Amino acid sequence: MSVRGRWRHALLLSVIALYSLFPIYFITVQSLKTPEEDVFGSPLWVADPTFENYTELFESGEARVRGYAILPKVPFVIWLANSAVVLAASVVLTLACAVPAAYALGRLRPPGWRWWRRVLFATYVIPQTILFIPMYQVVLAFGLDDSPAALVVIYSAMALPFCVWLLSAYYANLPREIEESALVEGATRLGAFRRIMLPMSRNVLVASGLFTLGTVGQDFMLASVFLLDRYKQTVAAGLGVMDVSLEELVAVAGVNMAAIPVVILCALFARGYVRGLTAAMLEGA
Amino acid sequence: MKRGGADTRLAYGLMAPALVLIIAVMAYPVAWEVWTSFTNFSVRSEGRAFVGLANYRAMLGDPLFWWALAVTIVYFLVTTTAKLALGLGMALLLARPSRLRALVFLAVFLPWAYPGGVTVVAWYWMLNPPLITSYSLVAGTLKHAVDSTLGPGAWAFVSVALFNVWRGGSFTAVFLLAGLNAIPTELFDYAALETRSAWQRLRHVTVPLLRPFLALAVFLSFTGAFADLANVWMLTGGRIVFPVIGTYAYWLGIRQGQFGEAAAWSLSLVPLLALALLVLFRWFDPPAERPA
Repeated sequence: MSVRGRWRHALLLSVIALYSLFPIYFITVQSLKTPEEDVFGSPLWVADPTFENYTELFESGEARVRGYAILPKVPFVIWLANSAVVLAASVVLTLACAVPAAYALGRLRPPGWRWWRRVLFATYVIPQTILFIPMYQVVLAFGLDDSPAALVVIYSAMALPFCVWLLSAYYANLPREIEESALVEGATRLGAFRRIMLPMSRNVLVASGLFTLGTVGQDFMLASVFLLDRYKQTVAAGLGVMDVSLEELVAVAGVNMAAIPVVILCALFARGYVRGLTAAMLEGA
Repeated sequence: MKRGGADTRLAYGLMAPALVLIIAVMAYPVAWEVWTSFTNFSVRSEGRAFVGLANYRAMLGDPLFWWALAVTIVYFLVTTTAKLALGLGMALLLARPSRLRALVFLAVFLPWAYPGGVTVVAWYWMLNPPLITSYSLVAGTLKHAVDSTLGPGAWAFVSVALFNVWRGGSFTAVFLLAGLNAIPTELFDYAALETRSAWQRLRHVTVPLLRPFLALAVFLSFTGAFADLANVWMLTGGRIVFPVIGTYAYWLGIRQGQFGEAAAWSLSLVPLLALALLVLFRWFDPPAERPA
């Protein structure tokens, strides 16, 4: 690449980085403002940053006074903990169901394996719109209202088809010799899978896990419908019931607070995510 | 290689948890939705009677349905094209070596990693400030301009569509970057010898090679198109009044309590999505038989 080409490339890379980060920057700037600066300041930067909106999330006590409004206390720490539980359980359940199914479809190839995979994938065609009404009936029938278990099961079912597809593509592409050499040495099929293929698919597992995380993170609706008890809500459900017109900046601060752990997770695993997707797509990775 | 029945039984055993999970979550709700679409189930009348295709007939006879369908299709096409264009552009830029690459990659990854369900909330209130803020004037002018061109409620709708593109474009970029990495570099080297311009290379080499990944990205974009709208609709108590199939079905179901019609409306997109699925299967499946 010529010097000019390199500069142009660097410039374009900066542009896409700015484009990607600007909305996050924008909401962060607003969340650092005092109510006065929110009205009279500049939208693009903050002259007098304050963490007021953030500390308000963690304040204890029953009610907060803000201006003329008395607002209920927000159990934000509990929401964060609930979200973490739901997220971790969803990833575990998704992978626990996806990995055996993917091995079966990718390696054992039962009759009609291709159709099984397609049928799983076809569940994405079902419009989610009003599906939460019957879902809530089921949740009530099992007495799972206000329980994170219902969300975990539903989120996992939503992420599962993609993860099965990804993992089974990877297992199907692994050279047969890898498995067979282990079988020759006396390992059982599942033993060979557990000791050799599963560790090899680490990056694909990361990719599946992050995809599940994205699916869980995207939901607001189900969480807000299924979790009504303030102390059992996730961040999404909780922020939804805040009176946003009064607490706009606090809600935005809450979004950022909730995002921090997710962003750290993603930064740690982002490389593995791309490698995993690539590995699943490559033949004989 | 011929495999015995034991392998098949093992395979079904291993698939069981996944199938049980999907069936447990989906079977009853889907059956409910389909059945309800054939009934007059509503909070306005007692009981629920089978009315055959009446809900569908009423829907197809409603000019609002066709308007909403047109808006929905345009919304699908515009957001998906934008996501693909942005995603492909960012993926191509990130595929070339550069010292900035690792950092920029993280930046591009971030919109998707930021928890979408709550971020859209922040985004929505930022673009539609409920109180006076420092940029109310700009936001108000934009809202007025868009609403007066496209109809009332358009700006609220467009602002969520922008979010969908921002987040979806990030997913598409990372996904296509993985796809680009999966293509052997020799193919690009040959292409560089055979073609004259970078544009030709993109059209005749890169895009065809990426076709299965593009197809999957399009499909996921279609199926995820309503998620953000649904979130904002729920959050704002139905402030998105622009007619789109997804939110209108909500309005019918939650506000009006006409579950039969709401079910028919939300199922009306199934043929469209199924068509997308068929195209996807043609292009993406089976990856194993794709020539390398």
